[in-house]
Amino acid sequence: MTRLLSPGALRVLAAYGAAVLLFIIGALVHPGFASFSSVTSILLIASFVGLVAAGQCFVILIGGIDLSVPWVLNAAAILVATASLGENARAPYALALTLGMGAGAGVVNGACIVWLGVPAVVMTLAMSGIVEGLALGLSGGMTCAACASYAPPIVRDAVHGVFLGVPAALWLWLVVILVVSFVLSFTRFGRATYAIGNNPRAAFLAGVNVNLTTVALYALSGFFSALAGILLVGFGGQASLGMGAPYLFQSIAAVVIGGVSILGGRGNYLGAAAGSVSLVALVSVLLALNMPDYGRSIIYGLVILALLLLYGREEREQ
Amino acid sequence: MNSVPRETPALLPSGVPEDGPAPRRRPIAVHLIGQNIGLILALAILGLSLIIFVGLFAFEQHRLPGNFEVTSSVNNTMPLALAACGQTLVVLTRGIDLSVGGVVDLTNALAAIFLAGSVLHMIIVSVLILLVGAAAGLVNGLVVGLGRLQPIVVTLATLSIFQGLAIRALPQPGGVVPTGYTAVLVNPNVPTALLFVVLAVLGWMALRRSRLGVAIFAVGNDEQSAVALGIRAVRTKIIAYTLAGTLYAAAGLFLAANATSGDATTGDVYTLTSIVAVVLGGVSLFGGRGSAVGAICGAFITTMIVNILFYAHINPLYQSFYEGLFLVIAVVLGSAVGSFARRGR
Repeated sequence: MTRLLSPGALRVLAAYGAAVLLFIIGALVHPGFASFSSVTSILLIASFVGLVAAGQCFVILIGGIDLSVPWVLNAAAILVATASLGENARAPYALALTLGMGAGAGVVNGACIVWLGVPAVVMTLAMSGIVEGLALGLSGGMTCAACASYAPPIVRDAVHGVFLGVPAALWLWLVVILVVSFVLSFTRFGRATYAIGNNPRAAFLAGVNVNLTTVALYALSGFFSALAGILLVGFGGQASLGMGAPYLFQSIAAVVIGGVSILGGRGNYLGAAAGSVSLVALVSVLLALNMPDYGRSIIYGLVILALLLLYGREEREQ
Repeated sequence: MNSVPRETPALLPSGVPEDGPAPRRRPIAVHLIGQNIGLILALAILGLSLIIFVGLFAFEQHRLPGNFEVTSSVNNTMPLALAACGQTLVVLTRGIDLSVGGVVDLTNALAAIFLAGSVLHMIIVSVLILLVGAAAGLVNGLVVGLGRLQPIVVTLATLSIFQGLAIRALPQPGGVVPTGYTAVLVNPNVPTALLFVVLAVLGWMALRRSRLGVAIFAVGNDEQSAVALGIRAVRTKIIAYTLAGTLYAAAGLFLAANATSGDATTGDVYTLTSIVAVVLGGVSLFGGRGSAVGAICGAFITTMIVNILFYAHINPLYQSFYEGLFLVIAVVLGSAVGSFARRGR
């Protein structure tokens, strides 16, 4: 059967359609919901989810998963504030340190998964604990003198600053979307990622360095978690404990809504980015409807289940 | 099983083995060790952690751990031990259940709201709460089994749903669990809760030998082969998730009994800790290998680690650091010893 669009492309379109639909519903229930400022602020919040989802997307594409997101993100937020002490002069050092910490945690994840044979779920879960313990212990439970530091102005400007009428963080996200999509679609590395996700053995026999690619992908996931942590500090001003907690669920959900197969090998970041927007738009609509916390939680789960059933059925029909 | 002599098929001339050379027979003891290496390792780690704990305790307090220490350790471990048993059933089918926390939250909240009353009332409410857990598990099982979807994302979604329901049921921590109920489940003076551990172990042994138990292992090892051999894989999965949900509900009841009140968020931790306990207990995340007894050991190991860290005067802020480190080391050592023990088969 010939189709105009591949099922994968259809899913990405569906994720974008869902986002647009949610904005329309929002505008109907709450006038002003689809105004320019409202849309940009929703997109800004979606960009944090989207950045974490970029990392999650990389590892899910090879059939892995990164459960260390919450605390890598949180530790990054604490580290960037405490290392920079809120000063621009120290910002480059703090940023390099923080992004390096994120990538380093990812490298350890990947190395233990590849060379020690620890299942990804266990390894990243343990890493979350390890980073949590270090973040809590070293900061004295966020009681250290430097813990009250604000993000350096340069980081705050990178989030709130407006460039061509749009918050700077959105431009950053756009660049990430373009780069990640390009890497996945047009580079050796991207091809290797899909190959490993489809069949690691075949990929190995085809000459892909499976081990190093896997380590690099987990490093990227850690890197993006750290980047999201930095931007969140820039957004909110200060770091706090537990700020990473929602991002595990949201990043996986965004990737799944975006049509990336949790088994790996199928999907792309364009979909995951759309998934992030739909997810945040959904929350915003529910907030506009004055939906209490528990209702949002339930609807969240139901929407993801419904999408899974929809996508899953399509997959079986092929 | 091994001692049953093989019959030579009538179609083949006598003396010709039907599939190549006859398998090398290994001593029963070696075979049993190879088959149960995960459980043996879990018991060894538990023994080791107990020895370290007793040593530290004796050094600090100049006496051996008494009734109080044993009772509180057992009572604090009960919810995790039960949740880990449930997680084991799911993991054995090559699944994973992230909704544990949500089900424990929900049942814990319901227990705190509805339990207070006469003895008969408490029994009926307890049974109903177990049924709520079973229903939650059934939902997981139906979506995973009939929808043929990945357990990790399905249970991630249902986790959110169950957490929402729990907060709807009990928005603020509160409620009351009658002291009589607490005395029966987790007697604060005597470690009678160990009886429930024994019950769980007996239940596991019965399940392991039943048709269902065999089916669970078969589905986890190789679903297609299991189906080809006439095992109803979908039904097996649905039952496994449902039983698991019931066990999470039991965990929620024990949690409520131990805290004597309810909280719709305290159960959240059990999603991750139940996976940790299962992994420490030598249950393979790739399905088809492991034992609930190991998972119970894993639950007690996690409690022992917390106790050891406490008496070693380790800053509690670093607790999860050591727990994470220990988890990785245990898994790496476990798989190294496991592959060594199975070598040559």
